[in-house]
Amino acid sequence: MSSALNEISHDQKAAARLRRTTLFWFVVVGFLFLTLTLDGCFLRMYQSQFFPTLRAEWFYAVLTLHGVGMLAVWFAAGMAAVTYLLSNYLRPPLWASPAALGGTLLGFGLLFVATTRGLFGAGWHFLFPLPFYSQGTWPDWATGCFFASIVVFSTFWLIWSLALIIAILRRYSFRTSLGWHYLSGRKAPEIPPLVLITMVALVSAVTGFLELLALFFFYFLQWRVKDFVANPLLMKNLTFFYGHLLVLASMYLGVAIVYDQLPTFNNREWKTNKIIVIAWNSVLVMVLMGFFDQLYMDIVHPRMPQVMGQATAYFSAVPAAVISIFDGLLLVYGSRMRWTVGSTFMFLGLMGWAAGGVGAVIDSMMADNSVLHNTLWAPAHLHTFYLMGVVLMILGFAYDLGSRLSRLPESRMLKGLILTTFIAGGYGFVILGFWSGAHSVPRRYATYPEGLTHATTYARTAVAFIIVFIFGLVLFLWEIGRRYFRAIFT
Amino acid sequence: MTPQIKVFGLFVAINLAVFGVFVWVALSTRWPHEPDEGAVRRLRRWFFGVVTGTLLLALLLTLPRAPYPKHDRKPDRIVYAVGMQYSWSLSDQPINSPEQWREESYAPPVEIPAGSLVEFQVTSFDVNHGFGVYSPSGELLGDVRAMPGYFNCLRLRFTKPGTYRVLCLELCGMGHHRMWGEFDVVGGTSKPSAAKPVAKVKTSAGSGS
Repeated sequence: MSSALNEISHDQKAAARLRRTTLFWFVVVGFLFLTLTLDGCFLRMYQSQFFPTLRAEWFYAVLTLHGVGMLAVWFAAGMAAVTYLLSNYLRPPLWASPAALGGTLLGFGLLFVATTRGLFGAGWHFLFPLPFYSQGTWPDWATGCFFASIVVFSTFWLIWSLALIIAILRRYSFRTSLGWHYLSGRKAPEIPPLVLITMVALVSAVTGFLELLALFFFYFLQWRVKDFVANPLLMKNLTFFYGHLLVLASMYLGVAIVYDQLPTFNNREWKTNKIIVIAWNSVLVMVLMGFFDQLYMDIVHPRMPQVMGQATAYFSAVPAAVISIFDGLLLVYGSRMRWTVGSTFMFLGLMGWAAGGVGAVIDSMMADNSVLHNTLWAPAHLHTFYLMGVVLMILGFAYDLGSRLSRLPESRMLKGLILTTFIAGGYGFVILGFWSGAHSVPRRYATYPEGLTHATTYARTAVAFIIVFIFGLVLFLWEIGRRYFRAIFT
Repeated sequence: MTPQIKVFGLFVAINLAVFGVFVWVALSTRWPHEPDEGAVRRLRRWFFGVVTGTLLLALLLTLPRAPYPKHDRKPDRIVYAVGMQYSWSLSDQPINSPEQWREESYAPPVEIPAGSLVEFQVTSFDVNHGFGVYSPSGELLGDVRAMPGYFNCLRLRFTKPGTYRVLCLELCGMGHHRMWGEFDVVGGTSKPSAAKPVAKVKTSAGSGS
């Protein structure tokens, strides 16, 4: 009896500790998201010629900070959320989330220094050999500092991912965690969708992090070994493979949260079945091949991977659309849904995933890729399924967590304002990106050349939409901040 | 209407349908009821068929339109293009060294007959660049990457006389947005058999910008 009570007490302490860590994670996420959104606004303002005397080096440095920073924030936020939610089914290690928080903050410190002090501006993808060809724009120490930030992020997240995989494997076997027993008709043991999808995301992420180590090994050889020249095509493959896996792993973490949390708003069930298992296992296979669409314009790349790139990009849409989005809609259809900011964000997140997916499938078409991919079309589809997809899914969870713990009621007016500004500002911003892409506006340009002056007008219009979005974000942070304050201090 | 605008129209049309479905589902929660399981199963099967069939059809229709050189068709002209931070150099002759690249930046313009099929053989002497060809009206006609140590080919047929620009479409450093080349297609008609026009090639290095 005493032992059982001790166990309960231990579990309660562990749950409280994990809850505190998760709340602290989302305070950090909120601060970083606002900062990086302001950076994004700065980028479109620079393109709108708001800062005519500021050197273009600043544009490219902030572009790098914004790109790497946003990927880092949302992967980490997704991991923090699933670590918390997994504790409903198994025992995730309590040290992993705080350690990753420390590592992530250290990584961000290095990233801020590299970009804002060193003006490192090779972009989130730091395509080889650009980091070594700064033309005097950034010093060598900035390159080192940037690489150190990526190594710190990746190392801590690799350990975090492995720790969660081990925790899952302590409860389920590898085959069971991926639901393979459902394929032979068995339904026991029951695998929550959260576990299945998190496992798919973690395996993808670990593959990406290990592959990143290979990329850095070649960078190291290039830096230290005389006469060694890394192959630019191989380096490009490694870079895009890693970037692609990290983006999609973040997306899957967001979807895992929605599978787990959306049913709590209408008391319906979203359980694993044979179709879901087939869908997510096929995603795991396709995600490892789907990055070749980044290399269509490298004609020297072997043709077969290019064709595979289009085929996998196309058919990875089937499990997403037919299973996850269809099931998500079915879950909500005709239900007694409790529409809060949290549940609405999760629902809207599914919509953003679908809308961005349409843009991505079009971009992955080899026939049109060469006139779309290096325009603002590609960042537009990325922002659609990121900003209006995974970000909303994770923010929905974060808001709901604060609401449940603080029990503060929602203000109807603020709720309406937050939703209106997020939708109007967010979709206005991304639609302008697609429109600009369709009008051949190149991406990653500090200012636009003669003959593309319409691009400046589009950038100015985008700034207006971003300001609307930021207004909504500040309101949202105020509302979530009140809840977290109450949850932590009372 | 450019192909990009048509694609944008398709994108908007599909997404209007997507948004419509989401709004309809959200509104359905005002009148709670349990969906008929048989109807759901039929709908899922139909949806799976439509999505998979559409993607398969699109794949079969678009793969042959991939912009890769067909070896059974020889180009009328070959133009060599080399990118370096932050300029393009284009020439009739292969450019083999950075010194030659600098000379070619100031060399007399390359002549490209309007209407002929031109193959650009594109590479870089330093970092990755993007070789994006823009029409006089500012429409992106084609794009290929310039990568050190490799030649990528881009085939285009210029039918309209005017000033064409080559912009760099891969982030290559702080001067990325200022990296360009330019040529004027003068005279000629839209048919390959037209009189030979002249294309004057200028670059951002050559013109001192």
